[in-house]
Amino acid sequence: MRSAFLLFRLSLKRARILLCVTGLLLAGFQALRVHIAASHSASDYEQIAALLPPSVRTILGPSVTSVLSFNGIVCGGYFDLGIVIALVVLTITLATLPAVEIETGFADLILARPMRRHWLISRTIALVLLTILLMLFMILAGTWAGMAMFAPPDASGPPAWQTASLALDLAMLLLCWGGVAMAFGAACRPGVARPAASLIAFAALLLDYAQKLWPALECVGWLSPFKYFTPFELVMGDPLPVDNLLVLWAIAMTGFTVAYFIISHRDISR
Amino acid sequence: MQNHEAIPNASGPNPPASADRTSPPAISIRGLTKRYGPLTALNDLNLEIRQGESFGFLGLNGAGKTTAIRLLLDLLRPTNGRACIFGYDCWSEGLEARARIGYLPGELGLYLDLTGLETLDFLAGLNRQPVDKRHRQELCDRLELSRSDLRRRLRQYSTGMKRKLGIIQAFQANPPLLILDEPTEGLDPLMQETFYGLLADVKRGGATVFMSSHVLTEVERVCDRIALLRKGEMALLSSVRESRRLAPRRVRVLFNEDVTVQPELPPGHQLTEKTPRLWRLDVAGPLGPLLALLEGLPVEDMEIEEARLEDVVLRYYREGAS
Repeated sequence: MRSAFLLFRLSLKRARILLCVTGLLLAGFQALRVHIAASHSASDYEQIAALLPPSVRTILGPSVTSVLSFNGIVCGGYFDLGIVIALVVLTITLATLPAVEIETGFADLILARPMRRHWLISRTIALVLLTILLMLFMILAGTWAGMAMFAPPDASGPPAWQTASLALDLAMLLLCWGGVAMAFGAACRPGVARPAASLIAFAALLLDYAQKLWPALECVGWLSPFKYFTPFELVMGDPLPVDNLLVLWAIAMTGFTVAYFIISHRDISR
Repeated sequence: MQNHEAIPNASGPNPPASADRTSPPAISIRGLTKRYGPLTALNDLNLEIRQGESFGFLGLNGAGKTTAIRLLLDLLRPTNGRACIFGYDCWSEGLEARARIGYLPGELGLYLDLTGLETLDFLAGLNRQPVDKRHRQELCDRLELSRSDLRRRLRQYSTGMKRKLGIIQAFQANPPLLILDEPTEGLDPLMQETFYGLLADVKRGGATVFMSSHVLTEVERVCDRIALLRKGEMALLSSVRESRRLAPRRVRVLFNEDVTVQPELPPGHQLTEKTPRLWRLDVAGPLGPLLALLEGLPVEDMEIEEARLEDVVLRYYREGAS
């Protein structure tokens, strides 16, 4: 257990700059969102909504008015496409750490000592979880800071239950991609695992948007994990979709289980 | 089977004084086989290394040396066979087995953003037995890795410095078994000498050394026994002394007068060069018959070159190649 803690600490230490920079950027971007949201009036949002192209209106659906509001813009940090992509990439990068350790030969030095192989995976899961929590906290911190600095006195931020729901939704999505990437990371070289997981994530994202635009694709839309990521509904005030979260959770758990299985059976070689 | 035919003395030399006969062998390998699809990297390897022994694992690139080592460390899973370290099965009791090993890989995989000290501390923390800091400092001093060197990031290290760090991490916990894969690769001659000194010290302390190498002089100097792997199979298992006996001694005889007689050489003797004043011979076995043959001839001088392990090993390599 002590060895596993040392391994976790080392991994965290090596990732600290990446995590700090990403976290600070997220917080800063969130504060900026609050500033932008505060600098527009309700009528501005109506004008912006009217300017939206039909395809974007289709994707947003009935949530368009909720999303294009002070509250919607502030909450956007939890589902902004750029942020989601950045966080998925960050998660994939960290989740494929075992592949990097095997490729570089560092795993040889670790596993030649009295340490079980599964700790490579358990440590990575812990690292991914901690990263997700840290990033969500930084978004939250950015929201608080932005509200304190830029929000008009009468403006109230998103309610706690909504923030928690959006955070949980995003966390499950990231955990899901962490699981997928970890399964790849346990089986392949990092040069394969990272592009493969990223490509699948990108394809799944495209599929999700495509099935929203073309109903004919709905029959395969369920294959995309992004279908179960429903922040627009949450912004509209819908309750947390537990079924969707369970699907994302199940994908993550399957990925982790596959990773454990592969790492305990494979040859550790470059 | 090929390897059994070639084993001149499978029992090897007497165990070192420090070895305990009642204790299990340091390494015991039975029928170890590793296949990658149609490719057989290691085929039916059988080996027993006693505690306190220094054992050299020889072979050309791709002969299966590193595969065997990685199987012992449970980094690779065998297709067949089993291996034990101090009586602990390398797979079912891998933690116990690996707790007794100090391992130096052939290619060190280090994180270049860490300092030398961070790397050593981290790897020391993974061992069960605590690392004596004074012992580690002594190792650093002997290998001339200063405190300021240890504070530098590994990306600033030369190949030799990384190798030294690798040696220190393997030796720092004073493990009873050292598994060293090409240990002196990248070390300058002075550091190689220091390394041999370190090996001699740990051997005196009763540790077992299992090293792979293709530097024959190194193996000859350090090891009690050797095994030669060829295409995944053991071609030779012998004590170093015994293997030298397999090689003929080179004898040079100088005459002070012309000698025209055609000698009738005893078995095991081969005339490789003959001039009126000089004979060169390869002599396998005792020299007595040759001395008897030279009796009465005008011998001015005689030089006998000791048999070298290199000659034996090269012969096996060549046989494999042909």
